[in-house]
Amino acid sequence: MVRKLLAFLSVYYAHMTVYRGEILFWLLSGLAPFFFMAIWVAAAREGLTDRDPLSFARYFFFVFAARQLQVVWVTWTLSEEIKNGALAFKLLKPLDPLWHYLAQHLAERGVRLPMILVLVGVFWLLYPGALVWTGPGALFLGLLASLLGFLLNFFVAYVLGLLALWLEESTDLYNAWYVLFMLFSGYLAPLDLYPEAVRAFLFWTPFPYLAYLPAALWAGEPVAGAGRAFGVLAGWTLLAWLLARGLWRAGLRRFSAMGA
Amino acid sequence: MRYLRLFGVFLLTALSARMEYRANFLAALVIVLLESLGMLFGLFLFYQNGYDLGGWRWQEALAVMGVARFLEGVFASWLNPNLQKISERVQQGTLDYVLLKPVDSQFWVSVEGFAVWGLPSFLVAGLLLAYAAGTVGMNPLYLVLALALATLLFYALAFVLATTTIWFVKLYNVVNFLGAVLWNAQYPVSAFDRPFRLFLTYVLPVSFMTTVPAEVALGRKGPGFLVLLALLAGAFLLFSRVFWRFALRGYGSASS
Repeated sequence: MVRKLLAFLSVYYAHMTVYRGEILFWLLSGLAPFFFMAIWVAAAREGLTDRDPLSFARYFFFVFAARQLQVVWVTWTLSEEIKNGALAFKLLKPLDPLWHYLAQHLAERGVRLPMILVLVGVFWLLYPGALVWTGPGALFLGLLASLLGFLLNFFVAYVLGLLALWLEESTDLYNAWYVLFMLFSGYLAPLDLYPEAVRAFLFWTPFPYLAYLPAALWAGEPVAGAGRAFGVLAGWTLLAWLLARGLWRAGLRRFSAMGA
Repeated sequence: MRYLRLFGVFLLTALSARMEYRANFLAALVIVLLESLGMLFGLFLFYQNGYDLGGWRWQEALAVMGVARFLEGVFASWLNPNLQKISERVQQGTLDYVLLKPVDSQFWVSVEGFAVWGLPSFLVAGLLLAYAAGTVGMNPLYLVLALALATLLFYALAFVLATTTIWFVKLYNVVNFLGAVLWNAQYPVSAFDRPFRLFLTYVLPVSFMTTVPAEVALGRKGPGFLVLLALLAGAFLLFSRVFWRFALRGYGSASS
């Protein structure tokens, strides 16, 4: 089983290395947290908040890291394969297509990781002292939050991709999800700078757990109610997964493989 | 003149093809409005505590955002659909058909497509710029000139990046990258920490597309900067032309 799994992943890894130039530019397109960092660092130098500049640098670096682990594109793949009928061939294989897409994403992380490490080096040179070791506990919890965040993101993207069976075009919906993510996840600014009432509401939505939670954990910032946070995150992930499976079953009946 | 007419034909075909996707247009409108609100909120987080972003008043910062939104519209409606397609054409070999036509190939691949869902960005840009003009005053002539020059500069840079797909083939994201950097430059360049300020000015001249046009229109910088902008845009346009010719020499065509 393990051997099969490894072989499966290595095939997709080989496939993904073909796209390394593509992945590099995609990675570079995801540098937005660093630009927001640059503004907040400059503002903190002028004494806008009581946080020091380096804490902003740290926070946004980890937002970037969390985001890189969570990048998904399955909405595009699914809606493309539904439209041109390529999904039919995936259905012929003895494995649920979900696993193929999931393996694709995991293998891509393997290609992306070395490139991220180069960026870490550059960041370390530009902002010495921003990266500090906050202990194995923080590292583990941050990774766990990122992993759950990835799964949540993936299943949401999967659901939206499946909607292409009913709608003409579903990639716009993912863009909408992404915009909501940007606004409410702490991607633009640490959530502790948001008004109190807004924040209390946001913690019931899935968004803060995609960026703020892992970043704050990694940066060693105090996270109020971390236990509840993981609960809400796991709840949303489970919900997205159930929705993905339910929609898949309903969708298969609708799918009539164009050209077949 | 012939090229202008051709441009009109392209535009009409693209429009009629896209009208089928009215729902998408609506979706794009909602997304752009949401996103703009979010960016406004992001800006507001700075100003609520009395911090002036790099010495810019709120209305002036909105003007920068307006210019950035305008270019975002240019990107989404015009640059992205066309330049993304160059990569596709190289992969499928359909670039051959363009090269065979008695029309300048750079012109053809640059203007053939047009996506209506870029239009909502122009709407937001108009609102932001009108607000800034109404409150702190802008020179409309300078604004129009600066926007036009910034568009040309943006196009030339994006085209150079897109041209590299002739060698690398699988490179859809390269144009997106420039769009992403531009998106990050929605705030006045002086608000960024030093390394980023230098990057946005000298490595990728993105600050010349968003901050400088706004500065000239607001009168924070003299009209001499329009000349600088024109020189910069001209130089990059020329380079994009030379580079395209050079790349085509290396293009082996897919079918032969």
